[in-house]
Amino acid sequence: MLRFVITFLLVLVGLFTLEMLGPVQEHVITPFTTILARLSAALILPFDNSVIAYGKILEFKDSGFAVSIEAGCNGVEATIVLIAAICAYPASWRARLIAIGLGFFAIQVLNIARIISLFYLGDWNMEYFSWIHLYLWPALIMLDVLVVFIVYLRYLSKQVQPAESALE
Amino acid sequence: MSENTQMRQFLLFVFTLLIPCFALWTVASPSIALPAIGLVSKLISSWFPDIVNAFYASGPEAVLMTEFGESSGQLIPLSQAEYRLGFQINTRILSYSLPFYTALHFATQKKSYLYDYMWGMLILYVLFIFGLICLCLKELMVNVGAPFFNQPGVFIPSANVIAILYQFSVLIVPTLAPAILWLWQSKDSQLLQGVFVRNVDS
Repeated sequence: MLRFVITFLLVLVGLFTLEMLGPVQEHVITPFTTILARLSAALILPFDNSVIAYGKILEFKDSGFAVSIEAGCNGVEATIVLIAAICAYPASWRARLIAIGLGFFAIQVLNIARIISLFYLGDWNMEYFSWIHLYLWPALIMLDVLVVFIVYLRYLSKQVQPAESALE
Repeated sequence: MSENTQMRQFLLFVFTLLIPCFALWTVASPSIALPAIGLVSKLISSWFPDIVNAFYASGPEAVLMTEFGESSGQLIPLSQAEYRLGFQINTRILSYSLPFYTALHFATQKKSYLYDYMWGMLILYVLFIFGLICLCLKELMVNVGAPFFNQPGVFIPSANVIAILYQFSVLIVPTLAPAILWLWQSKDSQLLQGVFVRNVDS
């Protein structure tokens, strides 16, 4: 247990510190955030042609309301937490890599839903936007991470049980 | 009950509890923050007596008052200023860990609830106090700058350490700490059924 906790904290702090470095922000995080903004706009545009995206910004052409996707809004921190938990947990590297890939996908699907919902919410009411953006959505994203991790644990547990049964 | 049913039941209960828990917290958060603000006020006022004048609650926010004034964006001595420079700090960006943990905790089927819950809230409250200190340090670093770092005989963490502590306290801890606490306290629940401890300890 102690090994899990120490590995989890080391990977978490290590990846988080790495994410904060200037070159990583410039060459990885900012381009990734830009892709998220463009992807969100691409998903909205077929239904609403009053939306444009440039850089990390999504904007309504008519009302002028815009949101900028910043650190903490791109799902990277949630992904780091998931990677740290998966790396700290005893399993094969194949299982870990698959879990990280699927977990990253699950987090980003929800994160894009967050971006789009907040974009429309902000255009309607800034008070609700702030409350849901700052408090509710971060909790939901972490709940997503938690569910992915529990599903992964159960998958691993099922893999171990048949092997144990075969040995009995 | 099958594993899938337990997971569905847990998620249903979490979503059902999240809204009332967050609504209650929105109403109660100024009162919840008061003891933490009082404690942090004593701590940072004695840590930086030449920089910090007071730290007090103002509605749902906290205000960090300095021993400086401001004119045209420049920091000036208080004696030359018309008003004292202060900064608003949103305590809710830290304390929303409490309703999140509450929803997770009470959405899980357990034999007993209150003992673990009290411990969980206590741990989260300590982290909340630590987060508030990090928020104050970040405000002083960004808005006061050189006079803050050049206090003779006072230990000041480096700018990088303050930046990382701030980001960690705001972006990671309020959501991660409740999740870890819940995972640990629910390891024997039907939902997890020992998978966590069995695999980690094997």
